[in-house]
Amino acid sequence: MRHGRWRFLLGALVPALVLHVVFVLSPYAQAFYLSLTDWTGVAGQASFVGVDNYVRLGGDSLFLDAVRNNLVLLAVVPLVTIGIGLFLASMLRHSPARLGQGYRIVYFFPQLLSLVVIAVLWSFVYNPNTGLLNSGLRAIGLDGLTRSWLAEPAWALVAVMAVLVWSSVGFYVVLFSAAIEGIPAELFEAAKLDGAGRWATFWKVTLPLVRESVQVAFVYLGIAALDAFAVVQIMTVGPGGPDGATEVIGMSLYRTAFSYGKFGYASAMGVALFFATLTLAVLALRAGRKERLELA
Amino acid sequence: MTLLRERPTLETTTPPARTNRKFPNPLPQLAMFCWAVVTALPLLWAVVSSFKSDKEILNEPWSPPSTLHFENWERAWTAASIGRYFLNSLIVVGGALILTMLLGALVAYALARYEFRGNRVIYYIFVAAMFFPVFLALVPLFFVVQQLGLLGTYPGLILVYTAYAVPFTVFFLHSFFRTLPSEIAEAAFLDGCSHGAVFFRVMLPLARPGLFAVGIFNFLGLWNQYLLPLVLNPDPDRYVLAQGLAALSVSQGYRSDWSGLFAGLTIAMLPVLIAYVAFQRHIRAGMTAGAVK
Amino acid sequence: MNPESQLTRYPTRRTLLRTAAVAAVTVPALAGCVTSGSDDEPAAESGVEKTADNPLGVKTDAPLEVVVFKGGYGDDYAIKAEAAYTAKYPQAKVDHKGLQKVGEAMQPRFVGGNPPDVVDNTGAGRLDIGTLVTAGQVSDLADLLDAPSLDQPGKKVRDTLLPGVIDDGTFAGKTVALNFTYTVWGLWYSKSFFASRQWQYPKTWAEMLTLCAEIKKTGVAPWTYQGKYPEYINDPLLTMAAKAGGLDLIKAVDNLQPGAWKQEGLVQAATAFAELAGQGYLMSGSEALSHTESQAAWCQKKAALIPCGSWLESEQKGVAPAGFDMVMGTVPSLTASDKLPGAAIQAASSESFLVPAKAKNVAGGKEYLRYLFSKESATAFAQANSTLPAVEGATDGLTLSSGLGSVRDAVTAAKTDTLTYRFRTWYGPLAKAVDDATGELVNKRISPADWSTRIQKAADALAKDTTVTKYTR
Repeated sequence: MRHGRWRFLLGALVPALVLHVVFVLSPYAQAFYLSLTDWTGVAGQASFVGVDNYVRLGGDSLFLDAVRNNLVLLAVVPLVTIGIGLFLASMLRHSPARLGQGYRIVYFFPQLLSLVVIAVLWSFVYNPNTGLLNSGLRAIGLDGLTRSWLAEPAWALVAVMAVLVWSSVGFYVVLFSAAIEGIPAELFEAAKLDGAGRWATFWKVTLPLVRESVQVAFVYLGIAALDAFAVVQIMTVGPGGPDGATEVIGMSLYRTAFSYGKFGYASAMGVALFFATLTLAVLALRAGRKERLELA
Repeated sequence: MTLLRERPTLETTTPPARTNRKFPNPLPQLAMFCWAVVTALPLLWAVVSSFKSDKEILNEPWSPPSTLHFENWERAWTAASIGRYFLNSLIVVGGALILTMLLGALVAYALARYEFRGNRVIYYIFVAAMFFPVFLALVPLFFVVQQLGLLGTYPGLILVYTAYAVPFTVFFLHSFFRTLPSEIAEAAFLDGCSHGAVFFRVMLPLARPGLFAVGIFNFLGLWNQYLLPLVLNPDPDRYVLAQGLAALSVSQGYRSDWSGLFAGLTIAMLPVLIAYVAFQRHIRAGMTAGAVK
Repeated sequence: MNPESQLTRYPTRRTLLRTAAVAAVTVPALAGCVTSGSDDEPAAESGVEKTADNPLGVKTDAPLEVVVFKGGYGDDYAIKAEAAYTAKYPQAKVDHKGLQKVGEAMQPRFVGGNPPDVVDNTGAGRLDIGTLVTAGQVSDLADLLDAPSLDQPGKKVRDTLLPGVIDDGTFAGKTVALNFTYTVWGLWYSKSFFASRQWQYPKTWAEMLTLCAEIKKTGVAPWTYQGKYPEYINDPLLTMAAKAGGLDLIKAVDNLQPGAWKQEGLVQAATAFAELAGQGYLMSGSEALSHTESQAAWCQKKAALIPCGSWLESEQKGVAPAGFDMVMGTVPSLTASDKLPGAAIQAASSESFLVPAKAKNVAGGKEYLRYLFSKESATAFAQANSTLPAVEGATDGLTLSSGLGSVRDAVTAAKTDTLTYRFRTWYGPLAKAVDDATGELVNKRISPADWSTRIQKAADALAKDTTVTKYTR
């Protein structure tokens, strides 16, 4: 039996491990090395340049635009998405069961679609002359509000963020409403008996008890906000424009690598993105630990 | 993030307790209704537009089609190659899904049910990859795939998709296999089953609900994958659906044919949406089962 | 693949998606060639005497292998030329391959030292010609250029090509590729629409502004442009600048000379476009429209003029209403003291044919190109594809569609005054900086002075960057 056990374990683990090492781990590891070279894709011609690429990142105004935009996305998208998600989820508690179920199904729709489909669709919605949004505004007499949404630097990033929020709210509604349903009904009853209004109930009962789900949501949305590549690449002017207004790190990396052929420099961008993601994860986890300590 | 837009496990969604004895407050109802409209409107608009002529799309975005232009769909399917992209997606996602489920389940099972040196290390090697941004790996990955001669091939895409979907699958199924009772497996061993037979005949069927749940997540993630094929699949003949749609809208690949593009979008959207609505009960049951710790 | 995508000379033009395919494969594909580009002798010279009838010394029974990119133009035109070749050399066995992925199929054969005799190095994944040249993998076509033309008596092949074609195929002083198709950039309008409104296409920028004022009064937007991809509106701007400042202006720009973007011609052209925008002559919303959307608006007569290359007519097939009769106008001259005449055009060639240095039948390969670039073959191509071939006079006497006819007329009128910028293909980041700046300029967010300052800064940074390979012309 022992012999069979090892044979089975090897058979079970080795194929996946090989794939993992070849296609996942080795590229990640190589990226760190490449980021220290000036490789342009020609075999054997990568020379070691130390931290030059990183120094260069600091002076690359387009990349700095990208970092700034990703930070804005990071600050806004999770907060707004979670805000709307929590609001709708706690409201769902008060709606008739069948209707609530229906809402949940509809809200979840965008989650099922590829970001590509979403971005293509929304680029039509945002079309300044024939799009759904502007022609809708005109139809109800709000001509003054019509904009070239994706071509005005002040609005382009807002438009991108709106799409990201739109596409992810549904999932978090479902997630949060599941968490809220896990809260014993007595707690709500008790709050009501204490004379707490809706608002107070939300802050005092609901939010603390779904804290863990919210934390998970922050991590996932944060990671999504550090990406945003598909939407930007397909939807925006340039893409990444106007004039860098919607540039994101992924976009810069992709262009630098696959249009300019500067693979070493692009890898440095990837490493920067990696550390941003890592920082985010660590911060979220530490915040989580602190909460738990306080509760204990 | 890795291949999948990973989603945390969904908790059970039993119908909400009927706490509302009196009239529901109209304001929240309105808010919920509004969000439903905001969500559904663009999707509905795409479906409606797919039946309109180009001229109607350009000039009257809000009005319904004067006549139903079914030929838009036909054109999208054939002339715009949506049919071919659809087939490519089926091949690549189907292949990757089967391979991912097989490899992911094997690894998760081996790690969850067998004690051996290095078990935890292997587990973390897999799971840590979930939290790395794919962008970091993108450039070297391109060259790895190229050097293996797999650039722009179905096997290449299937292997890469699988490699990036396995970590989440392992993570998800690991806890699942841990919860399965060991009595049945032990009985099977006593009956003389080999380790492989126990896994395939006993444990895998027991894990069906979990496999179903993770399978759905994997399917959505793989079906909607964009970045990997964008870089690793440069041959227009082998474009997957997401890639093909992006090419149609961003590049001039397809001449100004908005109705065709909307039809293409609808073709890409509808199967997933219909499947979701039809199976959402089962899907939720699967997700609930998956959430059991 | 469509014809348009091969016509576009810019790697970043329109589609990052396709660029990924091109750049991704182009850049590293030849890695093997570089390292294996040894000093092997080129394959045996034919040793056949060169005569008036056989100017390249083709061995009449040597087999010939031709590899053609089978894209939007198909490969019938190449097969026709092959038939003509076998008619002359009946003993030669011609092996034809029409491929979609030329680079992928050819790379191992270049590395392995058994390339075919003619390669049409075009389409996504084409081989990087610079790398091929460095690796000594392509033949010098000088003797072909000096050979007599097949069907234009008294002319050498060199003299039958449209201006700029030889330059486009010349690398490090050697002409190693001949491009078969020809693209021209200009401003497009509907001839019938203009006639019905009695508008006259302008010859100078001052006339353009007067015309725009007139058009605007009728409620039609004078211009629209492909705002989602600002490089489209760069083309007329840079063409006007080049007309004002002459070829030296272009050279200074392409060679990254200090202060190149502050040259008067460029600042004046930028000012002209700032005025165009400032007067409200650009259709509102254009800045966010994709090429298909803006071109459709133009076909619907919501705007009178649109900048584009000569592929526009085929791209708008089915969108342009009947009787629209689109024609391309030459970009107006900027000042009265322009260095180049008003008829000068921005033009470039593509669909790149080359003869590998290690081919078994180099002479045959060149001879085949002599057949391909004959007037008869080029004329057949123009008829079949409504695209201008790179052979002068190929469309003479043909009944052409309005668009192609106007392109042909523009080429004829320009004579040798064609211009093209190289910085776009040489320095991607600079092209991006120019696009972004021009987008801002025509949206009135920066001044012409800011425009040239910004771009100059980007060019200076590039010039100082030691990691970027520099080219000069």
